[in-house]
Amino acid sequence: MSLSKYISVFKISFVQEFAYRLNFVMWRVRNVMQIFLVFFLWDSVFSDPTRQVFGYNRDKILTYVFGILFIRALVFSARAVDIAGEISRGDLTNVLLKPINYFRYWFTRDLSSKALNLCFAVIEAAILFLILKPPFFLQTDFRILILFAVLLVFAVLIFFGLLLLINMTPFWAPESGWAAQFLFMGIITEFLSGAVFPLDIFPATIQKVLQFSPFPYLLFFPLQTYLGKISLSSMLGGVLASAVWVIILILTLNYVWAKGMRRYAAEGR
Amino acid sequence: MDRAIIVDHLVKNFEVTVKGPGLRGAISSIISPKRKVVRALKNISFTIQPGELVGFIGPNGAGKTTTLKILSGLLYPTSGFTQVLEFDPWDRRPEFLKQISLVMGQKNQLWWDLPAIETFELNRAIYEIPKRDYEETLKELTELLQVEKLLNIQVRRLSLGQRMKLELVAALLHKPKILFLDEPTIGLDLIAQEKMREFIYEYNKRNGASILLTSHNMDDLINLARRVIVIDEGRIVFDGALEELVNRFAKEKIIKIFLSEEVDIKRIEAIGKVKKIAFPEVVLSVPRSATAVAAAELLQNFPVEDLTIEEVPVEEIVRKVFRGEMRSRVLKK
Repeated sequence: MSLSKYISVFKISFVQEFAYRLNFVMWRVRNVMQIFLVFFLWDSVFSDPTRQVFGYNRDKILTYVFGILFIRALVFSARAVDIAGEISRGDLTNVLLKPINYFRYWFTRDLSSKALNLCFAVIEAAILFLILKPPFFLQTDFRILILFAVLLVFAVLIFFGLLLLINMTPFWAPESGWAAQFLFMGIITEFLSGAVFPLDIFPATIQKVLQFSPFPYLLFFPLQTYLGKISLSSMLGGVLASAVWVIILILTLNYVWAKGMRRYAAEGR
Repeated sequence: MDRAIIVDHLVKNFEVTVKGPGLRGAISSIISPKRKVVRALKNISFTIQPGELVGFIGPNGAGKTTTLKILSGLLYPTSGFTQVLEFDPWDRRPEFLKQISLVMGQKNQLWWDLPAIETFELNRAIYEIPKRDYEETLKELTELLQVEKLLNIQVRRLSLGQRMKLELVAALLHKPKILFLDEPTIGLDLIAQEKMREFIYEYNKRNGASILLTSHNMDDLINLARRVIVIDEGRIVFDGALEELVNRFAKEKIIKIFLSEEVDIKRIEAIGKVKKIAFPEVVLSVPRSATAVAAAELLQNFPVEDLTIEEVPVEEIVRKVFRGEMRSRVLKK
């Protein structure tokens, strides 16, 4: 594997994002709007600074909200949402004909999207910070910060795996790409990952069940770790669970891809 | 290596869902989807030598493109043996992909929102082409196709013809040893078609590349292919020299004349079979061997303003072939 191939893919993908400037700006506006809404919601719930709900105080819940902004940019920004269309239109052909690994190709394109979104998230957060002047919880325990970083890497991989699996449905049902994507991205992931509200709000049994799904490890669990809301042993358990999910997803992905490729008809030409 | 491409008893079936018309069809296809197996390729075999330029012809849906897709590793064959440059295409190994290219008339690998040069640079990295080779090839290709001035313009702003030429550059930067061309001149104007043909010919000569070309354009085939493979309903019905095909099945040539004044059509009918009269244009078909005589006679005895001699379109020959004239005696080289 030569790295320079992927550096070139990263570059062209980055340049491409700028071709859709307006699109990108609107996407960022959506993110900021969401933060505003969630921020004011929690700000009013916790108007009394001594109040504690679901184990959150004012500082921690508002840090959670700001954390969402960053983690969304890092974990949820992706270009691989285009794969479904590429498969149903037959444009997959273009990449298949080239001596490049398809998964790595898209992962690189995702990374370029993440880099761009993260840059903007930093600027937005700075502005929001100046406007809202929220209290902020700063984690100082070095061990926790390392675990947080590891969890984020796994979160990126888990999201990539889930997204690719969803995007392969057109191999079997060419018209299904958009609906599957919307259900997965718009609803399941948003709610079950904790991007709308912290998952502690759910009843304990649902939380237990969710623990065994990959979704909390996308956003909620890393943030819990950062906020130091759980014990070190639970954190390590979460790291393990994330790692297991990464492995499961990689295996499933390879299997589904091999099956899908045999069905691929390279249509549309 | 004495064979660039080997295809042996290749079979490809597709499974498709059949949908009835209208709302009722749509609903019933959701409740109980009917599946149907389409047999796209029924046991075909052929080989191609290094440096050979072969035309692949047949009606729409005959299986030409399917064959090209299997040979470039995009489709999984149902059964049979295929080998390209001693690789199994389906493995799509990097060493294999670096030596082939598939160009399709309506395909776009160029990044739509960016200038073509960006795609070229990306291909340089992906195919790991050394910088010097890349610059040399790029210069050579852009000069041959006269697209030097288009490299920095957003692809979406280019015309179809310009885009096709740039697609070709993108597909050839890595100097493939095997080139699959699917309708390379489709949608191009006559001058661009001519240029494209010259270019393909030149590329074949210079690089000793094997080229497998599909086209509905007789000129493409006449000017480029020494050998043609005719495919119909998933079977090879002819494989041999082009002259053999044309001589055997195009026993006539088409003469088109433009008259400056009306004449008695009966007099023209004495020279050849009149196929169309739309004054001032008259189209007639004459035996191949008598073409020159017929043309001379027309020019001498009629007020002819313009006269052109054309081949019977390949479609017509192919149609003849398909009417069963070939099926009884399939020829192989």
